[in-house]
Amino acid sequence: MPVRISDEILGQVEKPSRYVGNEWNMVRKDPGSVKARFAFCFPDVYEIGMSHLGMKILYHLLNEREDVYCERVFAPWVDMESIMRREGIPLFAMETRDPVRDFDIVGFTLQYEMSYTNVVNMLDLAGIPIFSRDRGESDPFVCVGGPCAYNIEPLAEIVDFAVMGEAEEVINEVMDIYIKWKEEKAPRREFLHRIATVEGVYVPSFYSVSYTPEGTVSEIRPVSPEYPGRIRKRIIKDLDNAYFPEKIIVPYAGIVHDRVMLEIFRGCSHGCRFCQAGIIYRPVRERTVDGLIERARNLIRNTGYEEISLTSLSTSDYSQLGDLTGRLLEEMEPMKVSLSLPSLRIDSFSLDLMQKAQKVRKSGLTFAPEAGTQRLRDVINKGVNEEDLLKSCSLAFNGGWSNVKLYFMLGLPTETLDDVEGIADLAAKVVAEYKKVPREKRGKGLNVTVSTSCFVPKPFTPFQWEAQDTMDMLEMKQKHLKEKIRGIRQVSYNWHDSRLSFLEAVIARGDRRLGQVIVRAWEKGCKFDGWGDQFKFDAWMEAFDECGIDPAFYANRKRSFDEVLPWDHIDVGVSKKFLKRECEKAYRGELTVDCRLNCTGCGAGVFEGGICVEHRNKG
Amino acid sequence: MSIAIRVKFIRGEEAKYVSHLELIRVFERAVRRAGLPIAYTLGFNPHPRMVFGLPLAVGVTSEAEYADFELAEEMRPEDFMDRLNRQLPAGLKIVEAFVRRGKSNIMADIKGAAYSVVVCAGDMPESVDILKLTEVFLARPKIMAEKETKSGVKEIDIKPMIKKMSVDESFSMGDSEIAGACGNGKMFRFDIETSAGSEANLKPELLFASLGDFAGFRFKVLKVHRTGLFVANDNRD
Ligand code: SF4
Repeated sequence: MPVRISDEILGQVEKPSRYVGNEWNMVRKDPGSVKARFAFCFPDVYEIGMSHLGMKILYHLLNEREDVYCERVFAPWVDMESIMRREGIPLFAMETRDPVRDFDIVGFTLQYEMSYTNVVNMLDLAGIPIFSRDRGESDPFVCVGGPCAYNIEPLAEIVDFAVMGEAEEVINEVMDIYIKWKEEKAPRREFLHRIATVEGVYVPSFYSVSYTPEGTVSEIRPVSPEYPGRIRKRIIKDLDNAYFPEKIIVPYAGIVHDRVMLEIFRGCSHGCRFCQAGIIYRPVRERTVDGLIERARNLIRNTGYEEISLTSLSTSDYSQLGDLTGRLLEEMEPMKVSLSLPSLRIDSFSLDLMQKAQKVRKSGLTFAPEAGTQRLRDVINKGVNEEDLLKSCSLAFNGGWSNVKLYFMLGLPTETLDDVEGIADLAAKVVAEYKKVPREKRGKGLNVTVSTSCFVPKPFTPFQWEAQDTMDMLEMKQKHLKEKIRGIRQVSYNWHDSRLSFLEAVIARGDRRLGQVIVRAWEKGCKFDGWGDQFKFDAWMEAFDECGIDPAFYANRKRSFDEVLPWDHIDVGVSKKFLKRECEKAYRGELTVDCRLNCTGCGAGVFEGGICVEHRNKG
Repeated sequence: MSIAIRVKFIRGEEAKYVSHLELIRVFERAVRRAGLPIAYTLGFNPHPRMVFGLPLAVGVTSEAEYADFELAEEMRPEDFMDRLNRQLPAGLKIVEAFVRRGKSNIMADIKGAAYSVVVCAGDMPESVDILKLTEVFLARPKIMAEKETKSGVKEIDIKPMIKKMSVDESFSMGDSEIAGACGNGKMFRFDIETSAGSEANLKPELLFASLGDFAGFRFKVLKVHRTGLFVANDNRD
């Protein structure tokens, strides 16, 4: 039975269109005619969730099947939630408004550690037991995927299973097994048993963890030899022929990325040592220009969107960028569809392209040198040098741009105050570059914004063993930089909340013992932690205290190379040996080349896809 | 040859939470999906040439919305309507389309609007007769209301803006799906006609706030449905 959301309720909440659905291209099916119902949950509000490409792909992919109906579920904002709790309205799906607890499988995509309390909150609102051990025969299965699923240990007692890697193929295999299992009316555990051997599926309850007296993990192993000792992620080898939805939902209400997102490739070959995405999505696999043009054309025809955005981890790396953009611009001009090009490396080619694509809209340009000195940029393998950066700025200023954003990280391994000051020096040099441009050529009102985030060591990176700077240390560095920047007119400075980064660091490298802390924090009212006005740091600290867990053990402790890490049983292709080698090179300030140029032997070649195969074929 | 088409459309329950700005975008995208030869503004940031009539508040349904479209090519209004209807999401539907001859656009043409309004009078004493109350309310030489403006609250006389106001006696609250929203109070449906448009605009909410001030108890507006828009000159053939 669908829940009723009255006009009176919708009249009381902010942005009622978050809850009404009925958007163009929404998939409608008779729930009675399918064999399995899948609730695809995004643990954040509608505007954020609807902007996420992975959700679009899986929603439409599952709905391609006649025997499955996949619906969308978002976290109700706090105003709606309090009404729902007061009126006894359970969490419901957008399409049918049926309660989520009536679905067969409830899947969450995990993009960000700080959304975990929302996962717990949504399960509770749905009336689904929070811990997997408490779920009975009539409860749905709870699964997760997305980048955070690679270290799902903090949620190990909450999720029934996790999907590692690109879910496009795995999810269909899981659904086939599910439908067969359901028809056989087999016991709950039997389903988990059957999927535990599907490559890319991880059932945490089938693995036991033991700890050393010092509190580190001593061993993680399957409870039975039937289950794999290591769980390897799945990838799509041939992206061009992989499923890609062309009838995506067009929301009424402004969402964050309200445009066609054209994914040009997956993976990244730069090998920045702090970057998790750069490792877990390996290897690089490109789509062809012909395939992309065809997709873009169909997507515009089916959505009517006025803008296409190329998406990938780094647009400039696409080998056929000139060809692709030239043809797209030509094709889209008559329909007045514009092209946006995020994460472009700024050079004369890209500036020219931006001028063509975005006409005169001289929106801000962004640069991400990440560190203030060459020494530290070498440590993190960020292949950017000062000369290139200043040259790019100069080109941009000559082209009339006058709004520049510079992104950095504070707290990177080996960082000293010299490196911090280097950020201010670099900003000053950017200002000087502007002043060199003749008045009549440059844009008016230079505006340089320096932003610093706090470095968060992540699993599956060369820095996974590093200690995060303490919050005090990070705040001291922020203060120091603020002092230095204050002296430079035209430069403004903003920084991230170090407390949020601290928690992110705890959970990112957490183990199973953190599950109780997350639930306790939620009991104390934590949710929407990533939304500044909702973040309750003190409640989190109380939760740690009450559970007898020291967060610094996870965030601020340096691990030794031979420590067993909570995610060691997960295989993302890239080997621990490679990560170690990269970490050692980092200390020596040695660079590693972009593996598009030369394979650097990371281990992702086991997937037999993308550039790894191309290298091999070249000999 | 360019041509201007004026359409009348319905905004139903499914689309009532779409704001005015969002509605414009919904039509813009539907026009692109339909492949209609819309004309664009010149300049670096071209926009489709479309103008929408009086913005409708969020939550209000309507059977009489108007919009003007300028096309770069000749086209039969019926074809325009058919093709666009196939691309409009649930809750939006064009019911009439014709060639606009005059110069002025729809915004400037609108003069009045008719609404059907369901209100809840939670604290209305048993002794009050709603028909009588409305009659006395309307019979006064001036009908004052407190309107919120940018410079603060202003007392204005809304009498010249009320063209019609009557209680729909056939309305029974039982069959309304919003019956629950009024608790033990009494529900009424009014048919009203008010000035609307850029010169003078009276919203139903303000009218019922004024009625409440006069009566000494509150009329809570539960549902507003626009039944008509009146244009000074509908620029038809
Ligand atoms: S195996 Fe070689 S080419 Fe493939 S991702 Fe790793 S380093 Fe790059």
